[in-house]
Amino acid sequence: MDFADFISKKAIRPQLTATDKEGAIREMVQALLDAGEIAEDQFDGIVQKVLDREELGSTGIGRGVAVPHTKHPSVEKLCGAVAVSESGVEFASLDGDPVYLLFLLVSPPDRPGDHLRALENVSRRLRDDQFCRFLRQSKTPDDIWQLLEEADNNQFGA
Amino acid sequence: MFLIDTLILATGVLLLLGIVSSKVSSRLGVPVLVLFLMIGMLAGSEGIGGIEFENYRLAHAIGTVALALILFDGGLSTSMSSVRLAWKPAAMLATVGVLITSVVVGVAAMWVLGVSPLQGLLLGSIVGSTDAAAVFSVLRSGGVNLSRRLTSVLELESASNDPMAIFLTIGCIELLLGRMSPGVGLLGLFVAQMAIGTLCGLIGGYVAAWVVDRIELDASGMYPVLVTASCFLTFGMATHLGGSGYLAVYLAGLVIGNRPLVFKRGVRAYHDSLAWLSQIVMFVVLGLLCFPSRLWAVSGKALLLSAVLILVARPLAVVVSTLPFKFSWRETVFISWVGLKGAVPITLATFPLMFATPDHALQAAVLFDVVFFIVVVSAVVQGAGLTPAARWLGLEHPPAPVAPVTLEISSLKHVEGEVVDYAVSADSRAAGRKVKNLGLPEGAVIAMIARGTQIIPPQGATRVEAGDHVILVLRPRMRTLVNRVFAPAGDSDGALTPSFEFPLRAATTVGELIELYQLPLEGPSDRTLVEAISQHFGRYAELGDSVCYGTVTLRVDRVGDGGVVEIIAMSVVTEPPASRPVGKKKPPSKDAKPGPGPVA
Repeated sequence: MDFADFISKKAIRPQLTATDKEGAIREMVQALLDAGEIAEDQFDGIVQKVLDREELGSTGIGRGVAVPHTKHPSVEKLCGAVAVSESGVEFASLDGDPVYLLFLLVSPPDRPGDHLRALENVSRRLRDDQFCRFLRQSKTPDDIWQLLEEADNNQFGA
Repeated sequence: MFLIDTLILATGVLLLLGIVSSKVSSRLGVPVLVLFLMIGMLAGSEGIGGIEFENYRLAHAIGTVALALILFDGGLSTSMSSVRLAWKPAAMLATVGVLITSVVVGVAAMWVLGVSPLQGLLLGSIVGSTDAAAVFSVLRSGGVNLSRRLTSVLELESASNDPMAIFLTIGCIELLLGRMSPGVGLLGLFVAQMAIGTLCGLIGGYVAAWVVDRIELDASGMYPVLVTASCFLTFGMATHLGGSGYLAVYLAGLVIGNRPLVFKRGVRAYHDSLAWLSQIVMFVVLGLLCFPSRLWAVSGKALLLSAVLILVARPLAVVVSTLPFKFSWRETVFISWVGLKGAVPITLATFPLMFATPDHALQAAVLFDVVFFIVVVSAVVQGAGLTPAARWLGLEHPPAPVAPVTLEISSLKHVEGEVVDYAVSADSRAAGRKVKNLGLPEGAVIAMIARGTQIIPPQGATRVEAGDHVILVLRPRMRTLVNRVFAPAGDSDGALTPSFEFPLRAATTVGELIELYQLPLEGPSDRTLVEAISQHFGRYAELGDSVCYGTVTLRVDRVGDGGVVEIIAMSVVTEPPASRPVGKKKPPSKDAKPGPGPVA
């Protein structure tokens, strides 16, 4: 599963303003809303579901990366948003460091395989330090989109 | 020639023999401390050395100083995380465990030696504690890898149970001499020993660390001496105030060793040497003190008591004191086996000799010989059997990822970073790879590669070869990631994880995971992940346990107090990476990388 299969091009936020977990998640769900991926009346419900998942354990998985995710019945297909924070978001990561790269995934309940494949793809790609470094230095949604495409085409290691 | 000249010569010879004997100890499968004792016995009045030595007070004095230094060093080299991991079971073993061991051996001694109950208990108390020096040296140099929890429990127990044994011994002697009545007075003695010892140790440790950090000495060689001074100060303060000096120095060492200290590695190396010196001196002196012919006279009875101690008393004590902590039966058996006796019992056995009066002979001489015999049997049998026991019980762990030698940046101020020397083994992940392909994290730079006698300035295309020493400059907290780069390839612990892991609280339920990820988990939905993993292994989950559920792997990632699982890491691997045909969707971008400059 490629980034292009689930990341919405219009839901890329190179300059995240929030510095706390809930704020960052709200901003990213808003990005999905702006991109037309989710319905307006579902906004609060989705934010709450993402925060519920965080209760099981932070999705801040270390090295400045967070992959908040959840399932929600209102979405028809897997959709995702990407955000880059310059100042860092306090995300209660296991290593205690703030996160700078965030990938939000919302999946429909009936497609568990896609959900896991997307999670795996994101976490595998983010292992590449060069990819992460370029993402963090990106200034525009187009830059980020291009990087995601290059990752899809195995331009980065692993 | 002065007497001291002869003494110096003899000391030199004995120390040298001690060091040489350590070279053969692993080949003989005998703990090195037994060899030290042998050397002392050979040098003694009945051996070839013919050195007359029967000064119990001096022996006790030497034993006390040596033990203090050994325990202090033990504290210095114990990390806080292993304390957190193991302190509860260790504390139980060090108190309740010692008491049970002492009572059982005491009852046996009453019957075997035909002495009064109290006299029997005195013997039991003397041999009640496991020896820190013996356990540390066997566990750390015995070539056997155990789980961290098990090692921590054993080391902590042996380091902290001496005060209990000392207290019981002194208590028995006081009672036998009729100077104290059982009850409140005895309990007060115990509380004072523990409380004052703890307090002095903590205060001593913090004050010492604070002073070392701020004193700014000109000569770096004085820092280790300063730390030694704090060890003696702490011991002296604690004992003068009526506390346990041994407990105090152990705690002080623990505090100091876990603080960022100026010249820390120098301090550690120095105290490690001091501890070795102390061990050799102490055991040789104790060997000098004993008379093999008298040992022979008590051998039958002492052998019987050793058997009771090893086969009955210790296992019973371990089973009872670890009951609340969910150890597997294999671990319980192993902990029972590692009840090595050492210098503490022999030192304690000199107490009755010193306190004996014409009215109360305390049967001190017989006691000393029996104790000596039991210690030798315990050290030889249990020490030599330790590695086979670990293997037989299946408790051996694969060795941890190569422990790299760390060099110290020679600065007397704090430097935020490290210089680390990795020795590249043939099976290391890094061997045969080019520097640019190592995948070093940001914040880690190779400063040089030493190959044979050559120094190679590293470049991107330089190939790292087996046998190289790669010296890196690291920012703080980069060690774990870099360790993985250099770890052996087959070592799953050090492997670059196939994907990132998501931490989950241990209390997360099966139902919650199924709801989110539709995993093929079984069992009631309100069962927690720890319970699911525990059920899979048929015992309580341990650090590193991992279970695969379809495309998701759950691994026990963090264990807290008393072995309670805190964090379970979830990783997802759905397909082997990079097996997809390239260019399936869109042609690769021909543009330059956006934003950032050229690749470094």
